[in-house]
Amino acid sequence: MKGKITLRHGDGGLHTNKLIRDIFYRHFNNEILTGYQDAAIFSLETGRLAFTTDSFVVKPIFFPGGDIGKLAASGTINDLTAAGAAPLFLSTGFVIEEGFEIEMLDRIAASMGQTCNTVGAKIVTGDTKVVEKGLVDGVYINTSGIGIVHGCFCPRRITCGDEIILTGTLAEHGTAILLERYDLGIQSDIVSDCKPLSEIIPALGDHIKYVKLMRDPTRGGVATALCEISESEHIGAMIDEEKLKIRPAVRAVHDLLGTDPLYFASEGRMILVIEKGYGMEIINILKKLESCCDAEIIGTFSKMYSRVCLRTTFGGERILSMLENQTISRIC
Amino acid sequence: MTQEEKRFIEKIVTQINESIKSDIRIMEVCGTHAYQIAMFGIRKLLTPKIHLVSGPGCPVCVTEPDYIDALIALLRHENVSVATFGDLLRVRGSSGSLEEQKSLGRKVITVYSPEDVLVLAKKKKGEYIVFAAVGFETTAPLYAALLQTAQKEKIQNLFLLTSLKRMEPAIRFILGEAGVHIDGMLCPGHVATITGIGPFLPVTTEYNIPAVICGFEAMDIIASIGILCKQITGEVPHRLINTYKRCVRDTGNPTALCLINEVFRISDVSWRGIGMIQGSALTLNHRYEVYDAAKRFNLKIETTTTSFPDGCECGKILIGEKTPDVCNNFGRMCTPEHPMGPCMISSEGACAVYYRFGGDEI
Repeated sequence: MKGKITLRHGDGGLHTNKLIRDIFYRHFNNEILTGYQDAAIFSLETGRLAFTTDSFVVKPIFFPGGDIGKLAASGTINDLTAAGAAPLFLSTGFVIEEGFEIEMLDRIAASMGQTCNTVGAKIVTGDTKVVEKGLVDGVYINTSGIGIVHGCFCPRRITCGDEIILTGTLAEHGTAILLERYDLGIQSDIVSDCKPLSEIIPALGDHIKYVKLMRDPTRGGVATALCEISESEHIGAMIDEEKLKIRPAVRAVHDLLGTDPLYFASEGRMILVIEKGYGMEIINILKKLESCCDAEIIGTFSKMYSRVCLRTTFGGERILSMLENQTISRIC
Repeated sequence: MTQEEKRFIEKIVTQINESIKSDIRIMEVCGTHAYQIAMFGIRKLLTPKIHLVSGPGCPVCVTEPDYIDALIALLRHENVSVATFGDLLRVRGSSGSLEEQKSLGRKVITVYSPEDVLVLAKKKKGEYIVFAAVGFETTAPLYAALLQTAQKEKIQNLFLLTSLKRMEPAIRFILGEAGVHIDGMLCPGHVATITGIGPFLPVTTEYNIPAVICGFEAMDIIASIGILCKQITGEVPHRLINTYKRCVRDTGNPTALCLINEVFRISDVSWRGIGMIQGSALTLNHRYEVYDAAKRFNLKIETTTTSFPDGCECGKILIGEKTPDVCNNFGRMCTPEHPMGPCMISSEGACAVYYRFGGDEI
């Protein structure tokens, strides 16, 4: 489909229907969605359910390694994963700016569909609104998702000695976006790590009983996610800088800009808190997965510290604080 | 970091800690050093007898409120946009900050390099663009190059409001007039890259204080502290040492110095929390005064005495007399989210660094 989105595409009439059929049904193709119902009807196995929602307003809409569609699908799938749930059904709402290229919308819907297909999740209901030019920046997407929580997953209080796993390299999504958004004239091969992580749940199987908590380090990065866990659990942690994997290109960009990669988002990584003594067992499972092949135990929770601390590569120590602000435009 | 480098650091740290028997104070003059020392967690490696204190080398922290007021006054002119680096946005004048002005719809534009300002001036031909030119000798050549280009390309709607400072008079003030006691000084490698070692020689030759021109990697800093300790304990004589030779030539960067001399002249300026320091400013000389926003828009930047909020110790923290943790406001009323004093605003301000990474105690 060529052309631009007009207000007519959102009026609920002929054009809306054509848009839904030609783009959304085509890419999200599944029998629950295409039934022309106002609400999706489906059956579920019994058990605990996880339900989550998130909205995506990323700028730029297309970035190295993905686009807002892949991000919206992965984000909700990963939120379900963090709840120990296998993703089943997603809903999506699009708010589109008048004048948006239909071809771009098609690409976005295609990557949402593909992302869901790779993990066996289905987008079963959706909504489209078109607003006047200038009211939104291109396209905003909301996704919600439902999944069935693994029977053995039982989030528990974190205690002294529990081990912290990070499933891969950090800050690649945030850095890729940073370079695109601010047009800093830095050439690099950095791509977003954006991807769904739901394969973690079946791979862990019954071993998921050793997982006390999972969190995806999106906004605010690994440092902020760890600080949030530490604050809510009232326990400090020591992170080993040497175990944190940062690609050289990512490190170079942050060295150049004076920013800290620990505070930049990942969209395809998970932090897992593992019961004391079981960290290596979990690592051995995770490392076999494509999405987690760089998994490492990066630190442990400890009552010796009241906050999250970092042991630097050569043995220094410092606090990891919650992100307050990172100024990229600086005098020196 | 390689295993060899780690062993090297371990060896120096052991030597340092074994050699220091009584309390010593080492000042890092530059905000970037303050930041790096804290980020690398270096304090934790060293004996508690070594006190690392900060100096006035963060340009944002020492920018006077009157200067911010002048920028805000400019925004009231029709057709004037103020371009600035992001870290100046939150600095408060007597009547608010540029960030607040921006939220009111005034034309405050964040730029990432002086080149952006040139592009802006070309794009907004019917408007006046005033660039907030703040910094030390490190940034001054960039502003100078910008004006040279503007002159060459006959760009007439671009102006600078300068608050550029020189490092040497500030160091002399701290060691002389202010009488701050320190046992050694880590001198900023990036300033020396531009100026050469000259401005830092008086630290040892006139004030007889050990000094090292230092880079910004962990190895640079620890090796430099090691050298300072050897001088402090008398193992080697007091002498300015340059450990940042990969960047710093004795005579500095001739191109950058030429740019500074071509565009600026030396004059006086007031430093926030410190007051007037003679000869510490770089202002536009007669050849470039046509680009001076203060002259073009008839602005007078008053040099009043800085007043700080109740209990704020920034004045003493800026010259290394106190550390942030002794301030009653620190971490309570004054945080990076709600900064009261100037040292909490810039990410390289002494208080912001202490707050974010922890100080002597973690």
